[in-house]
Amino acid sequence: MNAIGFAWRSMVRQPARAALGILGVAAVGALLFDMLLLSRGLIVSMQDLLDRGGWDVRVSMGELPGSGLRIPDAVETAEAISTLPSVQAALVMRSATAQIDRASGEPLRASFQGVTTRSSDPAGSRLRAPWTILRGRDAEAPDEVVIDEKIASESRLEPGSEITMRASCNADVEALPATRLKVVGVAEFPFQITNESTTGGTLDALRAACGGNAGTEADLILVTSTSDADSTAAAIRTLRPEVRAATNTEVVGRLQQTGFTYFRQISSVLTTVTVSFAVLLITVLLTVSVNQRLGEIAALRALGFSRMRVVKDVLSESALIVGIGGLLSLPLGLLLASGLDRILKGMPGIPVALHFFVFETQALAVHIGLLVATAIIAALYPMRIVSTLPIAATLRDEVIG
Amino acid sequence: MRPRPLVRALAVLGIWLVPILASAQDTKPADVLVSRQLAESEGLTVGNVIRLSTDGAGTHAREFRIAGIYEPTPDPSRLGQVPRAVRLHLPDLLEMTRPADVPAGAEYVSSVNVALTDPRDADQFARDVNARLPGVLALPSGEAAGSAGPFRVLERFHLAIAVVTIIAATVFLLALTIMLVDERRETVGVLRLIGLPVRRILTQILIEGLLVASVGAVFGLILAVLSEQLINYFFQWRYDTALVFVRITRDVALTCVTIAVPLGASATVVASWALLRRGGLRLARR
Repeated sequence: MNAIGFAWRSMVRQPARAALGILGVAAVGALLFDMLLLSRGLIVSMQDLLDRGGWDVRVSMGELPGSGLRIPDAVETAEAISTLPSVQAALVMRSATAQIDRASGEPLRASFQGVTTRSSDPAGSRLRAPWTILRGRDAEAPDEVVIDEKIASESRLEPGSEITMRASCNADVEALPATRLKVVGVAEFPFQITNESTTGGTLDALRAACGGNAGTEADLILVTSTSDADSTAAAIRTLRPEVRAATNTEVVGRLQQTGFTYFRQISSVLTTVTVSFAVLLITVLLTVSVNQRLGEIAALRALGFSRMRVVKDVLSESALIVGIGGLLSLPLGLLLASGLDRILKGMPGIPVALHFFVFETQALAVHIGLLVATAIIAALYPMRIVSTLPIAATLRDEVIG
Repeated sequence: MRPRPLVRALAVLGIWLVPILASAQDTKPADVLVSRQLAESEGLTVGNVIRLSTDGAGTHAREFRIAGIYEPTPDPSRLGQVPRAVRLHLPDLLEMTRPADVPAGAEYVSSVNVALTDPRDADQFARDVNARLPGVLALPSGEAAGSAGPFRVLERFHLAIAVVTIIAATVFLLALTIMLVDERRETVGVLRLIGLPVRRILTQILIEGLLVASVGAVFGLILAVLSEQLINYFFQWRYDTALVFVRITRDVALTCVTIAVPLGASATVVASWALLRRGGLRLARR
């Protein structure tokens, strides 16, 4: 019988002990797996979110898009950027806060995203809006808007309905006249914040909703390049040194240096604590188990089992406990990750489509590596006990005891 | 309403800063405060004269004298952002940021902080302001502190992690106690054979479990207090902030002890119970 088979029989002989050991490893392993998913989850998810829109360079005034600083003469800037040979399309985006009147109750607070819909060339093709139409069609006229599912369900609106909106382009305290807008579609906004509502339309619609108070500024210019995004961003920086042009990877890199680091750090701390916890407990389990079977091990040695063989038996037992527990930890970890993700997405200012826990093959590989290391390290001390076990003295003690 | 004399410059990103020699000035520049982080990164000291402008080109730059360097109030919502900030007197800030077509006194301010004679009137005062001044939103300080939101979520997240850790620890604890109890099978068998009732042995095991769990809980608390400082030092260094990340309060310590001690004692009793159901002879038999 090989070492694994022998270790399996040892475990089966003590089913309660083995089952509890495996369950413990599964619980700790699930936590460890989740921490590994968390360490890069936000970065991977944000990169995916940015790439999904098809815009590979973001032009803004601040260090990061959405910093509050606005690009002056945005349409002219976008037109200038569009003339660059590496630029396929440039879309101007401006946000405003808005209130949508309801038949009864408080007005609904929402944000209004206004975008340019056509490229600078009058005959140019229509630019793709940074949202996905779910029902109806995209807004094209200055009196048309698209709304998100939340507004549609809360206010019972569908394509063809009309809304009364009071938008504010400069400050929350502006008191503006109401504007009637036609809902032409229901859309999904990739960066929509949890518990917030979003509407979208053309830049002209936003200007109309703001009572002509929008000025010529914009929050962001989204650029699609024909070739390499890095060189396009560099070309934009050369053309307009006053603006910040960043590729999606650069945006993620900047986020990584600021808000995202907390989760990375906390994940590192918890990974270390979890692995140490697992090593300590499996070591204690195996050591106590080996100590209880010293007589049995000495008898096996006397019957001809080599030192290496009994060491392999202990290592195999550790590998079986950690291996089976580790396998169970994967579905458990994914289940736990979805629950933890739901908790963390309750944080204000987090886009609905962003996830804190994202599965990556790299995370799985690290998880397996850490579990293998845990199995080996945890078995070191009990392996030393069995390898240095004096056969005759142990057998005599067993008989006398 | 009494506006604060100093207003935090909301974004210093657009404000460019160039230190120049104080001696070059004919008129005394207005005073500003500079955050410690900005002072350290730019090598600024009290008495330096700096030029501030609202754009990168430095147009209409104005000179200010650094009257002091301040430690920014730790802001949880800005964790990870080094606060490179300058505090100006409100009239100076408005003078710099006012658009050409806006007359003096017609500028916007983002918020006005109000100190009430009786803080208990905050809710009523906010309601009155909201009713009398349409377009203005007044909130009591407690509700205005929206930045606490992320930390409530983090609290729930850490609680969930703690629950999973406790479950894992309980499972391991059960496995260990089963093994330890099994090791004492013969002793328990002898005690049964000399006439000690199951209840008496269980009480003894319970007391022993309580003692071991209490010592373990105290050791855990000592470890937590030591790691508290370590974690705080690390994160305060990492984020250059005075925020406290881990704090072992009396309530936290009591909660830990309340969970750990009964859990440890119960695990011992549960593991022993299966053993004690067997007969004394069977237990004592080798």
